[in-house]
Amino acid sequence: MTPRGVLVTGATTPIGERLCRSLLADARIEHVLAVGLEAPESAIPFSHGERLVYRRVDLSRGRRVRNLLFGIVRDLGIECVVHLSMHRSAAQEGGRVHAQNVDALRSLLELSERHPTIKRFVFRSHAEVYQVSHELPILVTEDHPLNLGPGAPQWIRDRVEADLTACARTGLTPLQIVVLRCAEVLGPGTGSQLFDFLDAPVCLRPAGYNPMMNLLSMADAVHALELATQAPEGTIGVFNIAGRDTLPLAECIRKWGRAQIPAPGTLITPIYRLRRRLRGHDFSYGMNRRRFHYASVLEGSRACEVLGYVPEHPIDWPAE
Amino acid sequence: MPFPPAVAWALARRMLDPEEIEAARNVNIADAGHGYDPFGLHRAFVALGVGIASPLYKRYFRVRSYGADKIPSDGPAVLACNHSGTVPVDGMMLWVDVVRHAGRVPRPIADHFVPTLPWIGTLFARSGMVGGSRGNARALLQAGQVLMIFPEGVPGIGKPFSERYRLQEWRVGHCELAIRHASPVVPVGIVGAEEQMPQISRIDIPAFGLPYIPIPATPLPLPVRYHIHYGDPIPIHRDYTPDQADDPDVVQEAAGRVKAAVQDLLERGLDQREGVFA
Repeated sequence: MTPRGVLVTGATTPIGERLCRSLLADARIEHVLAVGLEAPESAIPFSHGERLVYRRVDLSRGRRVRNLLFGIVRDLGIECVVHLSMHRSAAQEGGRVHAQNVDALRSLLELSERHPTIKRFVFRSHAEVYQVSHELPILVTEDHPLNLGPGAPQWIRDRVEADLTACARTGLTPLQIVVLRCAEVLGPGTGSQLFDFLDAPVCLRPAGYNPMMNLLSMADAVHALELATQAPEGTIGVFNIAGRDTLPLAECIRKWGRAQIPAPGTLITPIYRLRRRLRGHDFSYGMNRRRFHYASVLEGSRACEVLGYVPEHPIDWPAE
Repeated sequence: MPFPPAVAWALARRMLDPEEIEAARNVNIADAGHGYDPFGLHRAFVALGVGIASPLYKRYFRVRSYGADKIPSDGPAVLACNHSGTVPVDGMMLWVDVVRHAGRVPRPIADHFVPTLPWIGTLFARSGMVGGSRGNARALLQAGQVLMIFPEGVPGIGKPFSERYRLQEWRVGHCELAIRHASPVVPVGIVGAEEQMPQISRIDIPAFGLPYIPIPATPLPLPVRYHIHYGDPIPIHRDYTPDQADDPDVVQEAAGRVKAAVQDLLERGLDQREGVFA
């Protein structure tokens, strides 16, 4: 099913921007409505025709969401929403961030369910919603336990809440809700903790541990989102979107061209806390401690069977 | 590991013959793209593992292998084996034996605490071990791998010397998996390991990631001779249908068959051997 029009929230993020380009390349799609927080003149840095419409909307405001959906979205006959808008920085917390991460999704879903033209809602969720533990399977399927621990930071809690919000509404109405739990996209501007970790010339990792991880390239993330918009009529549910790169943490650091020092966790924690405070970095060792110890690899066979998604594009490793 | 696969290959080349290196290069693993399978297995570390264990396998424990050809050459299978010896060297010897004689890399299913052990957990993962979650075992059998399971678990390793060659409580999970995933079970009896390091007592305090502190009679394992006996595969996959994996009576019955087969291999092995060190 190819939608007549697609609404992309978070369109000014690197993934959103690439998705807009990709959707525009499909002549069957009449309109792409891009939504972001940036000013229109700087929001979409590529030339586009009349098929792309940009709107600056703060989705955490319910009234504005309503005006958007029952205004231009209805007028353009948008049939599919791709919701990418999540707060990317783990360093910022609070009510505003929660409103963007969770409340905006709730409003969008509620309004989409009774919308005259919207038929499908694609939500980009994150692999970080899954729990990582030495007692859990390494291959993470869609029924893997979620990270509901009380000690989880807001960055994780909001993502879990948003994911569950979308899942809880799936199947209750004719709106086809598709939740894509994407592996970490290793790229700038994606909110990737690992990308920020690898930004340092020397990376500290826990001595004695070298867990396997799965990473997603931007191209594959965009491809998966595109496939979800075009999935056969009636497609709903949760899908893991695994990446082409499955490798140990040490190999990842090496391929990124960084030096690495294995160190005890008690030493790593304060160093990265200091780095975060002094240099404004986003990476939090506490948030990543478990996955820096224990392997966790997304298993994507369901996405392959239902959506036809197969990861094809490896990450462009700088030191390869 | 603190070193990349290239270093592991270089170290392995110093320890193994060119034929053994070539065999390690050709073992079948589900390479996920960077030379590792999704669980962390890498051919270089298989070679290194065989290289590290070979002096123990060939010279210290002088392992004799009987019937390794009974391991299916492809497809899923479960090796169910007795466990003993205070330190789990029996697992290492069985792993090497299967690699050397069957040309397959068995996947030891370890207790949950093993992946938490620094360096050891990583080295074991690189050579095929996975933590003992049901999901890991399921994924490996679905991928047609050979699982190596010690149904006695940690209590088997810690059994007192007076109970050697008497199988402890035999867990049934391996049969449930085998029934559900239509896999044959190959019983394995290891004779020798049960005398390698007699345990005279233990302190039931978790330490260094281990569930208790053993008190062995000897500081190191004794140079007993290992005899590894493989039994005929038990056709669990033909005798039961996958939906019977949910029936506790069926699973218990199947596990009882496997336990009896392992006990029989042990008794025959004990009858055949000429001495603990011979």
